[in-house]
Amino acid sequence: MTESNNTLGTQVGKCPLSRRKFLKCLLAAGAVATMPCGLLRPMSSRAEEIVYEGGYEFFRNACPRNCYDTCSIKTSVKDGVIQFIEGATESTFTRGGLCVKGYGYTRRPYSPDRIKYPMVQEGRGTGNWKRVSWDEAMERISKKLLEIHDKDGTLLGLALSKYSGNFGITNYGVEGMMTSLGYTTRLTGTPCWPAGIDAQNFDMGDMWCNDPEDMVDARYIIAWGANPAWNSVHSVKYLYAARDRGAKIVVIDPILTQMAAKADEYWQVKTSADGALALGMARYILDNDLYDKDWVAANSIGFNAFAEYLKNNVTVAWAAKESGIPAESIVKVAQEFATAKPATIWIGYGLQRHVNGGATVRAIDALVAMTGNVGKTGGGARYGHLQTWGFNYHALLQKQPEGAKGVPGKAEVKGDFTFTSDDAAVDYSDRILNINKTAQVILDADDPPIRLLWVSCKNPFSQDFDRNKMLKAFEKLEMVVTVDQFFNQTVEMSDIVLPVTTLFEEWTINASYWHYWLSINEQAIEPMYEAKSNIEIAAALSKKMNELRPGSCTFPTEIDTKEWMIKEFNQGVYDLFGIKSWEDLRNGPVKAKMHPASWVDLKFKTPSGKYEFKSELAEKWGHKALPEFKAPREKYDKYRLLTPHSKFGIHSQFINLDWSEEFNPKPFVYLHPKLAAEKSIDDGDTVRVSNTYGEVIITAKLSTVVPPDAIVMYEAWFKNNPYNVQNVVDDTSSDMGAFKTGQPGVAIHDQFADVAKV
Amino acid sequence: MKKQYAFYIDAERCIGCFTCAMACKNQYHQPETVIWRQVYPIKAEIYPHRERAFYSLACNHCENPTCLNVCPVVAYSKREADGIVIHDQEKCIGCGNCIRSCPYGVPRYNPVLKKAEKCSFCWQRIDAGLKPQCVQSCPVEALQIVDLATFDKPDAVQYPPGFPKYPKLNPSVRFLVPRLPKIIGREDI
Amino acid sequence: MSNLELPLVFFTVLSQTAIGLVIISTLRQWAVDGPTGNIRGEWVTASGLIIAGMVASFFHLGHPLEGYTALKHLDKAWLSREVLGVSIFLGLTVLGMFMARDKISGPVAFGAAIVGLATILFMGMTYSPPSYPAINNVLPLVFFLMTALLLGTSFGSWFASPEKRIWLTRVLAVTLIVGLVVYLIVPCVWLSGGTVMAQTGWAWIGSPLYWARIIIGLVLPLAAVWMTRDVPAWLPTIILIGEIMGRMVFFKDTLHAAGNLGGLY
Repeated sequence: MTESNNTLGTQVGKCPLSRRKFLKCLLAAGAVATMPCGLLRPMSSRAEEIVYEGGYEFFRNACPRNCYDTCSIKTSVKDGVIQFIEGATESTFTRGGLCVKGYGYTRRPYSPDRIKYPMVQEGRGTGNWKRVSWDEAMERISKKLLEIHDKDGTLLGLALSKYSGNFGITNYGVEGMMTSLGYTTRLTGTPCWPAGIDAQNFDMGDMWCNDPEDMVDARYIIAWGANPAWNSVHSVKYLYAARDRGAKIVVIDPILTQMAAKADEYWQVKTSADGALALGMARYILDNDLYDKDWVAANSIGFNAFAEYLKNNVTVAWAAKESGIPAESIVKVAQEFATAKPATIWIGYGLQRHVNGGATVRAIDALVAMTGNVGKTGGGARYGHLQTWGFNYHALLQKQPEGAKGVPGKAEVKGDFTFTSDDAAVDYSDRILNINKTAQVILDADDPPIRLLWVSCKNPFSQDFDRNKMLKAFEKLEMVVTVDQFFNQTVEMSDIVLPVTTLFEEWTINASYWHYWLSINEQAIEPMYEAKSNIEIAAALSKKMNELRPGSCTFPTEIDTKEWMIKEFNQGVYDLFGIKSWEDLRNGPVKAKMHPASWVDLKFKTPSGKYEFKSELAEKWGHKALPEFKAPREKYDKYRLLTPHSKFGIHSQFINLDWSEEFNPKPFVYLHPKLAAEKSIDDGDTVRVSNTYGEVIITAKLSTVVPPDAIVMYEAWFKNNPYNVQNVVDDTSSDMGAFKTGQPGVAIHDQFADVAKV
Repeated sequence: MKKQYAFYIDAERCIGCFTCAMACKNQYHQPETVIWRQVYPIKAEIYPHRERAFYSLACNHCENPTCLNVCPVVAYSKREADGIVIHDQEKCIGCGNCIRSCPYGVPRYNPVLKKAEKCSFCWQRIDAGLKPQCVQSCPVEALQIVDLATFDKPDAVQYPPGFPKYPKLNPSVRFLVPRLPKIIGREDI
Repeated sequence: MSNLELPLVFFTVLSQTAIGLVIISTLRQWAVDGPTGNIRGEWVTASGLIIAGMVASFFHLGHPLEGYTALKHLDKAWLSREVLGVSIFLGLTVLGMFMARDKISGPVAFGAAIVGLATILFMGMTYSPPSYPAINNVLPLVFFLMTALLLGTSFGSWFASPEKRIWLTRVLAVTLIVGLVVYLIVPCVWLSGGTVMAQTGWAWIGSPLYWARIIIGLVLPLAAVWMTRDVPAWLPTIILIGEIMGRMVFFKDTLHAAGNLGGLY
């Protein structure tokens, strides 16, 4: 990095975004008129001055977060500093606007709290951070890795904790880096959506949702355990548009969410009883011949078995009892749903974070299929898709060093975002452990134990479960290296932290698991301070490893993020998006040339090639072949505890920014006034939420939006605040997930706790 | 009637996502405590479910603005062409009178510049043919700009519950009030 | 809770004291028989107080050195008029101070008194914006007039001749009684107003500072005057403390309409 860049970075970093500073340097450049921040300047503008829009460099970026909307961003830069960002207008999905999180990006690279340099902590949790050079950081890590190799004969003592913190495709270089070091321990699976993925795979052979923009053509939309008003704000306009054309919106959720408040009808379902509700509706539809007989006959197998199951085990009255929803409502909506053409159900991820999550999704899929809504524009059982992710995964695909040893035999690394597979015979494999039980597997891993944990694009202390168990697990680790931007709770418990780039400081490419657009992410500014992107970190590590022991790491030691971004493209991507080259994306995001309706050709990817109401594959994986009712988890404490997402953040990102603190300064626990009265808790009281796993001390807000038998806290990380919902959440598995994603999911919303005034 | 730009807040469409508030901060980088556009939750005494309905409010660019009237240094002016009320920070001496006097709490004190400031209706963007940053950013088009001279939505109101009535100021804002869904509660509790 | 606005507390109290001193001094000089007393000392004190008040006001400004530009909006802004009023009053009071012999010349004295009175009117208008429902009316003017009279009479006692003390004491006693009535009744009346007005009422009633000012600044002085039939030398200081406390309550506990956005008004 050149000296002048450093100076600019330091200048800006010291007093970021001081308009005085901008005004000064722009006055110097004689260009004060052109800044929007220069609005507060003399009224007398000379007629020939351009008052807005002048002298900016524009860049294309994409939000790489784990979010449905994956917005296309247009970044305005002047003098090497980001002035402001906007949503790209070329994308009909983003349509010129971002969200409360995305607009915080203008602040994020320049946040005073940002980690600037590699740092070493003398004593985890002490806060005694010492700056070190990249060279020293890499040396410490390399020496540890070589020590592990020499002690164990393998690198299985190195484990990777990574998930969705950054979905820029080149960030799979972190997994590539692991491979390039040898056979290591991989925490596979996904905490997010695995049960539903398995369910959709059992039913249809893949998870493949319609283009969300086709929701305008739906005549009936059920948002089931999904809250787009908080988690996919760009989708809401399509629901509204559908309603403007006469569609009905029904929201089914234990909490009266923001989306519920905007629905036509809201059902406050009993948590985890959604499967029963769906089956009850199916029974009614079956009894009244409202299902699409032709579609079912031509495109599915096992319907008769399903019908038998319904007749013998499901009644509307039973569904009403299980779910709490009155029978007459179930009947009415079932009738409406079955007769609206087309009808669609948006299956949320929260819905399947239960011990019966997969079974629930299968039941809802069945509802959509039996009414003939699969393969129709405006219809479908919408969950997610990965159709537009056909990149080369060049960053991911590395080779182990010569002579590397691991777990004998071949183990298949599966994952929700794993697109490559290696059919070649191998002698050794990585050790595969469940990411959803990170703390437990660290505690249990032996021969060898996990000695070094590399954390990137993840925050185990904020996002993994049973925080007290995680603390114990970390005691076993000999070294923890975290790659991150802020001193969050995982970084606090790390030995070494490496500063990583924001989206503006690297080249990468982004697709969405919801909409059908593709966005390039150009490097808009020089990396601040000494931040490096994940692949640059891999290169640096490789360089040091090979210095100390030639051949110990195969990752290229010199890389260029732009080149590596280009290497991800292939003809398949170009054809799908109708572009000639990646350069076309510099003019704006592009949409895949796909039919808006998934499964429009009705060629399912199941063993039978049809929609499988009865799935032998499901049975093989230990589930029922039919979408049968599976009982919810038994309570282990007084009230149900729900810890959904906040609208202000994506997990532990954004809420810590000072800009965000202005609008959302502190966390709360939401209690229904009835529950609060039982416990003599007033609005604003400090309370203790506790169960056998731990406790959270927090301020209470009383609200009727939460059910009277539940405690609701939104998972988030607030700066300088020990608030962490994982203190009271355990790592019980959900039913499905192992088939497609390698590990079962986790029943995040099947938690229970008590609450008392402090 | 002369052209008068106004914000039109469709609180029925609004999902309280705070995108507008942050889009403004992204454009102008106001220092801490200086908020030009705030999203106010409508209290449960008006909309029975807490934090589920909102008014996104910035400056109302009143017909007869208090800020303009009370400013001792004539730092405020109202544009003839479109009624946007602009604050000229060069003239401002930070006396705080506008901050105290605006009933909607619009002008804020900038502790770094030691002057008042407020929503400018993004007048430079307007003059360049663009929409204000907050309006462009809204994912559901709940926040729009209208010209009161031609605005004629029959179900819009100027003073919805929760927004104080100051006819002498005649704030240039219009609202659609939010509706409630049909709520089917659980029978077991 | 609103901003305490400490510079404005001192600006208003000190300047109103100065204006009160000048008004009472002028009235005493012409309306009451007897020697003028230490009229020079009185106008020196008034000058000192108005200057101190003005200095306090500069601490309120973000850019005090440009404070003179506040005169630009005389055609509309009460604050501009207030600045003008204070400036002219200061000029006349200082002039009076220099010209004072055993009395002050009529035009100067009456000029200062009338300008002072007008300035209090301008202040009353400035501090009653529509954003504070409880005081968007004549009350600030009433409060400020009472400050002027209470402090003008009580501090005037330091300079008045013995022959005029009885008149002074009577005016003070009456003002104290009126003040007590006004300050006790007004918050109670507010309780039946709109949301923010009622909240202001509750804030004042619940404020220990409010009750302290009632006791220290009104009840105690009234008792002292009643018992001694005179203005004890220590009394003006006590009343001043009371007025400062009262002005703090005026700023801190008077609630802004914007604080209730989203709620029923």
